[in-house]
Amino acid sequence: MILVLMIGILLVGGLTCWLVAQRYPLMGRLIALIAVIIAFLLPVGWYAQYASELTVTGNNWLIDYQVNWIPAFGISFHLAMDGLSFIMILLTFLLGMLSVLCSWNEVREKTGFYFFNLLWTLAGIAGVFVAMDLFLFYFFWEVMLVPMYFLIAIWGDFNRRYAAYKFFIFTQTGGLLMLLAILALYFIHAQQNGGQFTFDYFALLNTTFDNNVTARWIMLGFLIAFVIKLPMVPLHNWLPDAHSEAPTAGSLILAGLLLKTGAYGIIRFVLTLFPEASASIAWWAMLLGVVGIVYGALLAFAQTDLKRLIAYTSVSHMGFVLLGVFAFREIALQGVVMQLLTHGVSTGALFVLAGMLKERLHTRDINQMGGLWTAMPHMGALAMVFVMASLGLPFLGNFIAEFLILMGAFEVSPVLTIIASAGLVLSALYSLRIMQKVFQGQLQTVSEPPKDLSAREWIIMASLTATIIFLGLYPQPVLDTVQGFVAQLARSNL
Amino acid sequence: MLIEKYIYLAIALFCIGIVGVLARRNAIIIFMCIELMLNAVNLLLVAFSKMHHAAAVAKGATAGIEGQLFVFFIMVVAAAEVSVGLAIIVMMYRNTHSVDVNFLNRLKH
Amino acid sequence: MTNLQLLALLPFMVLATAAVVVILLIAFKQSHTVIQVTGFFMMCAVVLAMWFVRDTLPREVPPLLVVDGLAALFTGLIIFSVLVVGLLSYIYFEEREENPKEYYILLFLATLGAAVLTISRHFISFFIGLELLSVSLYALIAYLRNRNNAIEAGVKYLMLAALTSAFLLFGMALIYMETGSMEFTAIGNAITKSGTSVLFLMGIGLIVVAIGFKLALVPFHLWAADVYQGAPAPVTAFIATVSKIGVFAVFVRFAQAIHLHENALAVTVLTVIAIACMIAGNVLALMQQNIKRLLAYSSIAHFGYLLVAFLSGDAGVGAGVFYLLAYSITLLSAFGIITLLSTRRKDADELSGYRGLFWRNPLMAAIFTVALLSLAGIPLTAGFPAKFFILTVGVQQHMWLLAVVLVLTSVIGLYYYLRIISTLFASPPLSPAKEKSLHPLFYAATYTSLVVLMFLLAWLGIFPGFIIDNVQEFLVIR
Repeated sequence: MILVLMIGILLVGGLTCWLVAQRYPLMGRLIALIAVIIAFLLPVGWYAQYASELTVTGNNWLIDYQVNWIPAFGISFHLAMDGLSFIMILLTFLLGMLSVLCSWNEVREKTGFYFFNLLWTLAGIAGVFVAMDLFLFYFFWEVMLVPMYFLIAIWGDFNRRYAAYKFFIFTQTGGLLMLLAILALYFIHAQQNGGQFTFDYFALLNTTFDNNVTARWIMLGFLIAFVIKLPMVPLHNWLPDAHSEAPTAGSLILAGLLLKTGAYGIIRFVLTLFPEASASIAWWAMLLGVVGIVYGALLAFAQTDLKRLIAYTSVSHMGFVLLGVFAFREIALQGVVMQLLTHGVSTGALFVLAGMLKERLHTRDINQMGGLWTAMPHMGALAMVFVMASLGLPFLGNFIAEFLILMGAFEVSPVLTIIASAGLVLSALYSLRIMQKVFQGQLQTVSEPPKDLSAREWIIMASLTATIIFLGLYPQPVLDTVQGFVAQLARSNL
Repeated sequence: MLIEKYIYLAIALFCIGIVGVLARRNAIIIFMCIELMLNAVNLLLVAFSKMHHAAAVAKGATAGIEGQLFVFFIMVVAAAEVSVGLAIIVMMYRNTHSVDVNFLNRLKH
Repeated sequence: MTNLQLLALLPFMVLATAAVVVILLIAFKQSHTVIQVTGFFMMCAVVLAMWFVRDTLPREVPPLLVVDGLAALFTGLIIFSVLVVGLLSYIYFEEREENPKEYYILLFLATLGAAVLTISRHFISFFIGLELLSVSLYALIAYLRNRNNAIEAGVKYLMLAALTSAFLLFGMALIYMETGSMEFTAIGNAITKSGTSVLFLMGIGLIVVAIGFKLALVPFHLWAADVYQGAPAPVTAFIATVSKIGVFAVFVRFAQAIHLHENALAVTVLTVIAIACMIAGNVLALMQQNIKRLLAYSSIAHFGYLLVAFLSGDAGVGAGVFYLLAYSITLLSAFGIITLLSTRRKDADELSGYRGLFWRNPLMAAIFTVALLSLAGIPLTAGFPAKFFILTVGVQQHMWLLAVVLVLTSVIGLYYYLRIISTLFASPPLSPAKEKSLHPLFYAATYTSLVVLMFLLAWLGIFPGFIIDNVQEFLVIR
């Protein structure tokens, strides 16, 4: 019930925002913030209350809520949460709160509709992380797209319409292929179980395939949808445009959350529903992951547009996710979950910084920046933290994540792992380039030096910094929470 | 008499109608050609009706009359169609001072 | 004819009475408003009559008619659509130069034709229903007789529709020759006994041509864009919904009776047509700058999707009915917006006229956006479960090719729907607001009905289960 409440609050909050903000813009923002905070506190409070019981019973599934939705087709409204979902939900609402905060002043017109879209995107993402009925999952998968499309298309930068189209059509193509695959799975399951039609995840887990070809095609349907979102290298084309044109909060959500839904989908659905089929393509997937790491890093180095640069670093970091997932090692999967969290936080933070810079300098071109440390020492220091996180400095979260992934992957394919490690060197290159171009060197001709962080911006950056440092120093709680799921997954796929 | 002959005649009339519709540009002549096609069908229906009636006459006196009944309906409907159609063609003439269908190209493609 | 048979036909008689009542009202020089309100209540009476007789169904009225669950469903859909079209017509024609009163006679007669199609089980009733529909439509399309566009569209529709009725009749005659009967079920029995011959298949082919023309299936779709563009907006809505629903209903009944799905050739041909519709409709719509033309092409594509359900046989009928329901509500709300935005001089069909509508009139733009999202099949709107059910029956029957084409062409479709949506949300040009010449009450009524339609779309999108169950319940009445 708590999950329904959590999503419901966002949906209702979004509608109220829209209606209220017609008259009182400030009230709209407040309502949005309060709605996300409540949605954040619900699962946290619940967890605090029941955490002790969970470790005793050893049941992975913390909450399970199911009601009939369209019984004629075996569709139910089935939400459930395990450790993995819980972690992802926490990330969703943490970044959700920050995205509301960082659009506080950036969005001046049509605020009501803006926050409506923001909250509905968050609701869709939260739904994706807890839906345990494949129809419902697809439903939420699409629900997060439409408001995101509006966020980019209305409040984006100069080239926003092109970026929004591209984003929508790429993801929708993948989504519809996934829908076909879901249907195929649905009928195969029904044939095996005497016409018992159901979209329920737990029931479909028992599906067995007569031949590998069918299984592989169906798996590819799912996988394509997820790797487009992730994105994997040949299908990453939409990402730089969408990320660089979106408003700051949009970039934050895109990089921090939407990409994670792809990774989550692979872990939750592809690996568990099609263990054999996914093992058979594992090498290719790992190869493409490594290609992504190197290619993303190289392209990031070549960019002059700050947001585009950060977008390509996402491609590179998500390559690690692909590498880790298809290694099928417990330790690598632990690393993947860590990577999802830390990448969400660190890249999100970089996008927020880019947004702040753009608000002050009205440009995203790093050639027109430089020497900003003297004007904004606080921002410079914070940027230093996240740039270091991005290149994988120990004691910051990303290091743990990438280290675990590489350790797991090395057992499986030493060659690929070595190339991937080379990608880390490249990441040092582009990360340091950000610092050098933006904050060091000669101060560019700016008539009056830009102001340093305001109190609101301090809150955003401080919470992100605290999170990334905490994850770097003490990742154990996260690892423990997902332990149950990950161990089971690694066992069944070996 | 063989039923094939009726079929050939009807098909001939029907094809003349089709060719007329496709080749002519005058709206009224096109309309007449369509009427010709309808009458070809009427001929066919009457012939078939007679054929089925002859075959089924042992079973009952009314067997196989559906075709002839249908012909009356077609005639009535065709008359209605013509009256509405001619009215529209008259309006077309009033607006464009022509009944040439090639003038009908103002809607964007 | 027994009393029970008469009772089963009650809704259709009420519908016929509606046309007569309108004639009488005109004869007694009543105003447009009176006619409109009376028409509205007569349509409600038809729905009530249908509700009243539903327990006596199914009932055959040999030899021409049969009133069963399928007929009740499709008639319900038709009447629902006409209710909305009638509402839209009011503000549209009230500010036009033409006297709007006779319009309602034609509207109700055309509706009667479509309704007769849904209950026909015989070639004669099939033909009469179709012609009643078409002949009224000629006049409806060309109703604004001083506008060149309307006349041109009317003449085009007239020529092509008359031509296809000739084809239809020729096909019927051939089938009659082979089977000696004009009743659908008797034809079905005859061919199961003696098999199909070449002439019979030719006959079927000609009938499919005629139906394909009415449904604007590729390659018989050439009239669609012009007629959609030229006809007055409410009439376009009528063509897109009521006339197609009626023809689809008779097609379903005919195909079921003669077991069309067991004929490999027919299935192949229809599969090719369906694929052609989906591809051509979506591709041609890409480049359109005119909303009415764009909707014409998109409806070609939608009937391609619907053919997928049709090809799935009996399992697909439920999905088809749901699809038609979702599609009608969606199109009616889209045309409602077009009607509201139309000015005295011309219909609001240029895409550029919609620029920034969201910031000028958020409510209208929201309704339009929901309608377009529903056409694109995005969740939370009725279009999504509709498309989903069709995909489900398609995959169930292992029609992979059709399913994949459906999915890929939907993606193409997304592009032009998004184009309109992004136009709605673009920054507006500086243009004076449209002068409102009518009493605000009428606008309020239209807005209310459009908002109701929008909520219906959302409701069907989130809880389609209720409707699906009811549709299945009706479908077993046969």
